[in-house]
Amino acid sequence: MAGRSHAHLSVGLSGSLARMTVVHAVVAAAHPVVRSVIELACQEADVTVTAKVETALATIAACRARTPDLLVLDLELPDSDGFKVLGDLGDEDRPESILVLSDRADGDLVLRALRLGVRGYVTKAEGLRGLSTTIRRVLSGERVIAPGLEQDAVLALGRFARRAREGAEVAADLTSREQQVLELLSEGQTMRQIATRLSISPRTVETHVAKLYRKLGVRTRVQAVSRAATLGLVEL
Amino acid sequence: MSETPTNETKAARAVRRMGVVIVDPFPVVRAGLASTIGGSPGLEVLAQASSADEAIVVVANVRRSRVVVLVAMGLAGDKDSYWLIRSLRERFPGHAILGLGANADPHVVSRALFVGADGFVDKNIELDEFLAAIRSAGNEEMVIAGPAAASVGQIAEGIERRRSVGLRLTKREREVLSVAAEGLTAREIAERLGVRERTVTTHLARIYGKLGVGNRLAALRLAARSGLVSIGPTE
Repeated sequence: MAGRSHAHLSVGLSGSLARMTVVHAVVAAAHPVVRSVIELACQEADVTVTAKVETALATIAACRARTPDLLVLDLELPDSDGFKVLGDLGDEDRPESILVLSDRADGDLVLRALRLGVRGYVTKAEGLRGLSTTIRRVLSGERVIAPGLEQDAVLALGRFARRAREGAEVAADLTSREQQVLELLSEGQTMRQIATRLSISPRTVETHVAKLYRKLGVRTRVQAVSRAATLGLVEL
Repeated sequence: MSETPTNETKAARAVRRMGVVIVDPFPVVRAGLASTIGGSPGLEVLAQASSADEAIVVVANVRRSRVVVLVAMGLAGDKDSYWLIRSLRERFPGHAILGLGANADPHVVSRALFVGADGFVDKNIELDEFLAAIRSAGNEEMVIAGPAAASVGQIAEGIERRRSVGLRLTKREREVLSVAAEGLTAREIAERLGVRERTVTTHLARIYGKLGVGNRLAALRLAARSGLVSIGPTE
């Protein structure tokens, strides 16, 4: 808070202009050494660190209170996943530039980060060296993804597209009654409970379930629910 | 005796070569692509087509284990590029389908991937990158080559939007919406589907509610953006 109000006091009315030249950052990482490395890199890149935090909760609070230009976020936070931070930040709290650090070199995670508006994704093993350059590039609007992970994210996109297509195809084939039965199945309800809930006979429920299995290409209830979840038809 | 093995090797090599089918409305573009692709090792142009209908016919006649169909996004009319990609995906699940565009925006790419493309290549890239993308697609790899590669996140979001709109509507509601896209009145839609006018207006009201829009035009615009319906004559 101190850094921000100081900037406002010293520049007075032209505060918004000052915000354009002074870049503020929130640094979120669990490990003190990682935090120090990030802070040093920020200094090298002429970025003012206004808050250093170590939990997801504190990260969200810091972004809301300080509206930084840059968030450098360790995805592996102790209280919850860094993705939760990204998902919980509203549009007005979301820093324009977000750079994430992760232990995990995984295309699905990179794709997920990119969907949440992240501009940079580097691994802690490789990315800490040269971090100040990465910060500069991210601030200039460039997308910086660890080499190799870029293609992994594209492969993840391919899988995502295929699942989305299959999900939409199956969904288009389901009647609204079957959709209801599927949702109740995935909540773990028995055939009898479903029958009561929908005020239909257990026999009718069985018929719906048999049709569902056929349309999903499965043989058991567990398979049906897991297939439906994979295709995005139900949420578990 | 020495002749036979050589011929066999030749034949084997020909089969191993990746087959490419080019679909583009412009003869000059087709010719350019054909000579570029045909002149590079391991690739062979098997056929060319200028329209979706022609493409379906030529692809059906192709006999090769590894086939890449390059579909230019510029096909217009009822049977546009998206229609073709969807049809090829259904009929030839083993072939690789690559969308081909010029400085395509993420919206185009996500729609192409959603309807069944295995990747997207932009004409605005270096030649060797272009050829490498075709080879990767033939080896069953997903490729995004060119400017669109910088928008992977946006492309995924576009796919998610399409998916969620698709999931929200029932089969009947989609039918109603696609007939509505022809610009018919509720009464005409009812006649077409063999239901009462009242049923159609109920369906429409429910569709608006699900899509969070206030009128038919907004619903159609959203559905069209999501690739759910085509505005104009039916596909």
